[in-house]
Amino acid sequence: MQHAVSRSLPDPDNSRQRPRWRELSLLGSFLKWLSSFAVTLLGLALVTFAMTRLSPIDPALQMVGDHASQSTYQAARLELGLDQPLPVQFLRYLQQAASGNFGQSISTGQPVASDIARTFPATIELATAAIIIGSLIGLSLGIAAAMRQGGLIDAIARFISLFGYSVPIFWLGLLMLLLFYARLHWAPGPGRLDVMFQYTVKPITGFALVDTWMSGKAGAFRDALAHLALPAILLAFHALAGISRLTRASILSELGQEYVLTARAKGAGMKTVVFIHILPNIAGTLLTVIALAYASLLEGAVLTETVFAWPGIGRYLTTAMFSGDMPAILGATLVVGSCFVLLNALTDLAADRIHRGQIR
Amino acid sequence: MNRRPGTAKFIGAVFSLALALSASAAYAETPANALIVAQSIDDAVSFDPAEGFELTTVQSFNNLYQRLIESNRDDGTKIQPALAASWEAGADGKSLTFALTSGAKFSSGNPVRPEDVIFSLTRAVKLNKSPAFILNELGWTAENVDKAIEKIDDTHVKLTWSADVGPAFALSLLTAPIASVVDEQTVSAEAKDNDFGNGWLKTNSAGSGAFKIASYTPHEALVLEANAESSDKPKLETVILRNVPDVAARRLLVEQGDADIARGLGADQINALKDKAGINVLSVPSARSDYILINSKANETLGNPAFWEAARYLVDYNGIAKDLLRGQSQVHQAFLPVGFPGALTDTPFSLDVEKAKKVLADAGIKTPVKVEFIVFNDQPFLSIAQSLQASFAKAGIELDIQPGVASDIYAKGRSGQYQMTLRYWIPDYFDPHSNASAFAINRDNSTNTAAKYAGWVIPEITDETLAAVKEQDAAKRVALYEDLQKKVQKSSPFVFMLQGNDQVVISDKVKNYVQGLNADQVYYDHVEK
Repeated sequence: MQHAVSRSLPDPDNSRQRPRWRELSLLGSFLKWLSSFAVTLLGLALVTFAMTRLSPIDPALQMVGDHASQSTYQAARLELGLDQPLPVQFLRYLQQAASGNFGQSISTGQPVASDIARTFPATIELATAAIIIGSLIGLSLGIAAAMRQGGLIDAIARFISLFGYSVPIFWLGLLMLLLFYARLHWAPGPGRLDVMFQYTVKPITGFALVDTWMSGKAGAFRDALAHLALPAILLAFHALAGISRLTRASILSELGQEYVLTARAKGAGMKTVVFIHILPNIAGTLLTVIALAYASLLEGAVLTETVFAWPGIGRYLTTAMFSGDMPAILGATLVVGSCFVLLNALTDLAADRIHRGQIR
Repeated sequence: MNRRPGTAKFIGAVFSLALALSASAAYAETPANALIVAQSIDDAVSFDPAEGFELTTVQSFNNLYQRLIESNRDDGTKIQPALAASWEAGADGKSLTFALTSGAKFSSGNPVRPEDVIFSLTRAVKLNKSPAFILNELGWTAENVDKAIEKIDDTHVKLTWSADVGPAFALSLLTAPIASVVDEQTVSAEAKDNDFGNGWLKTNSAGSGAFKIASYTPHEALVLEANAESSDKPKLETVILRNVPDVAARRLLVEQGDADIARGLGADQINALKDKAGINVLSVPSARSDYILINSKANETLGNPAFWEAARYLVDYNGIAKDLLRGQSQVHQAFLPVGFPGALTDTPFSLDVEKAKKVLADAGIKTPVKVEFIVFNDQPFLSIAQSLQASFAKAGIELDIQPGVASDIYAKGRSGQYQMTLRYWIPDYFDPHSNASAFAINRDNSTNTAAKYAGWVIPEITDETLAAVKEQDAAKRVALYEDLQKKVQKSSPFVFMLQGNDQVVISDKVKNYVQGLNADQVYYDHVEK
C-alpha cells in the first residue's frame, strides 16, 4: 500500500534537492554503516571468544593429545597464550586479527588466514552456483504458482517447498549420490575435481571453475562443472523452497492491492499485472530473501560439504569446533560474519535503490 | 493455460542441463599408476615425524621416512635393519652403536650421514612436541641430548642414555615414528625462528622412505610421490589419500572403483560390502584396546575394589564384540594386546549379573547406585556405552551416559573430574612397556598415567613395572609382564574389554597391501595394481 501511495504521490521538490541531500546522506550512511559494521564484528568476536572459552574443550590438550608429557602440555599452553588473563588474550587476538593475522590453526597446523583463503572460495563457488539455480527456479516456480493459484503448478510448487524444507539435506545428498553417481553414472563422485585433474591443475584463485578455465584444459573445466552440479542442485533445492514460497505469497498478497485492481480494471492481463506491476514492487523483498538465502549458504552448508567431500568453510568451521581449534573458530566466524554483514548492507542498499527508482 | 507446460519445460531443462553436464564427465577408474585411498584426514596436524601423532600422520611416516631400525611388518616383535645395517650394545648396557647402511639417500639426493641421525633425534627431543615423551624414556632431555648422541666416524653413530633401561628397550623406542631420520641439510635450510624446520616439515617431507610428499592440502588430500632416490623403489608412482569425511560417500567411492582403498567404515557398511564382487575386506588385528576407567577417588563406592570387581562381571563382552561391533573388535581382557610379547590371551570374565550382585552385596555396596559415565561422542563408543548401561542396570548400577568431545574427556580424565569413562589405548611403540607404563605405574600421582587418572596409587606394582623394563633376559621379561597383567586384570579400576580389529576395504585389483599390528604400520611401497 505504501509503495502504491508513493508511486501515486511523488514529491515534486525531490529532484531539485537531490544532489546535496544525497551527498550528505551517502557519507552519513557510510559512516553509520561503518560504525555498525565495526561494532557488529567486535560483538561477534567477543561472543565467539567467550563461547570458545566457556566450552569444556581444552585447546592445549586437543593440540598435544592425551599421551603427551606434562612439559609438552605446558609448552602448548604457553604457545597458545592460555597462561594470560582472558582480557589480555582477547585484546591480543583483536590486535592480530586487525592486521589479518588470525593465528595458527590447531587442527591443520597452518595459518588460519591461509586456511580460510583456501576453503572460502570453495564455499563461495558452491553457494553462488546454488543461489543462481535456486533463484531462477524458485522465482519461476513462485510466479507460476501464484498465477495459477490452486492449480497443478501451485500444488507442485507447494509440495517442492514443503519437501525442500522438511527433508534432511544430508539424506537427500546421499540419495542423489546413490542415484546419479552410483546407479546411473551420470555424475562424478564426491570432491571438487577428479583425481586425474586435481593435481595437474594449478590452484590460482581457489575457484575450481576459474582455475580449470584458466588452465585451458576443457576436460578439467567440464569435470569441475560436473562435480559442482549435484551439490549445487541439492543446495539450490533447499534455497528454492524458501524463495518460491515467498515469491508466491508476496504476489498473492499484492493481487488484492488497489493498484493491481486498477490495472486489472484497465484490462491488463495476468502476465502484465505480475511482470509489469507486481514484480517491480516486491523486488526489494525478493532480493532480501535471496540475499539471506545466499548468506546462509555462505555460512556453511556443512552437511552438504561433508557428504560431497567439498572442502569449504562450513566443514572447516565444524572440524575446528570439534577439535577445540580456537584460532580457526574465531577467524572463520569473523570472516563469515563480515560477509553476512556486508551482504546485508549491500542488500539494503540495493533494496533502497529499487525503492528510490520506484519513487522517481 | 499455455504457460504451464512452458514452466515445466524450463525447470526440466535446467535439471537436464545440469545432469547432462555431469554426464559429460563420465567417471573413470583410478589411474593404473596411482593408489587412491578414501579416508578421513581431518585429524592430520603435522607431517613432521617429531610432532605428528595422529592416525593419518603416523600411518604416513613408514612410507616417507626410515629409521635406524624398524619393526618387522609381519611380526612387530622382531626388529630388523633399516638405515642401520647392524648395531652393537655397549658393555655398560646403556649404549648402542649403529653402523649405517651404505648408499642410502634422501629424496633430495643427499646421502644419509651420522649427522642426519644426530640432528633428527636431538631436534625431536628439543622440539618437545607430543610424542617427545617416547625418547624421554631414555632420560634424554633438551639439555643432555647433545651429549647422548655422537658421531664415531662417517658410518657409525653412538647413542647413550641415562635411564635405567636396557638396549632391547632402547631399540623398541627407536622403532617409533619419532625416531625417523630427516635430511639435515634440507630441513635446516627451511628452519625459521629456531624451529628446526618444524614449520616446513608440517606439510613437506625430507626422508629416505619409498615416497615423498608431493602436495598436502589440509582437509583435502595428501599426495605421495615415489621417491626416485629410494633404494627400495615403490611399485606405484603415486598414492593419494583423499579426505572423504562421510563414511557412506567413502563406501560409494570404493564400490564404484573411484577409490582403491576405503578406511574407517562402520560395521554395517562392512557387512554390506563383504560379498560384493571386486571388493575384499581385509581384517587386520590392531593393537588398540578399549577399556573402562573408574575414578577410585570420585566417591566411596567407586573407590571400593568390590565395585571394580563387580564391573568386570557386568560387561556383555561377547555381545559387544560379536553382535554390536561385528568383527571390528574381539574380546580381550589384559592391558597388552595380542601380538605383543607376554600378552595374556585368557578371558576369565564374562557377563554374570548374579555374581556381580553378590560381590556388591558382600562388600556392603547398596544398590541402586548412580554413576556418571562420560563417553566420546562418537561411534562405536556410544553403542558400547548403551550396552554397558543395560548390563550394569541389571545389578542396580545406573550409568548416566554423558557424551563429550575427545579433548573434554581427556581433560576430565587428567584432572580426575569424572566418575567412570570409556577409553581406548594405542601403544606408542612396539614394547610391552608402552602399555605397562600407562596402566601399571603410579607411585604417588606425580606422573601422567592412566593409573593416576584412576586415582590408583600402586608403589609396589610400579616397582615391578620398572624392574620389568630393566630386565635383559627376554623370557624373564615376558614372565614379569604376564604377572603384571594378571595383577592389573584382577585388582585394578580398569575393565579391559576389547582389542580392535582394523577392517580395510580394498579393491581386488590392489595387491600386496600390508598393514601391521601397530597404528603406524601401514605400507604402500609394495602395492601393485
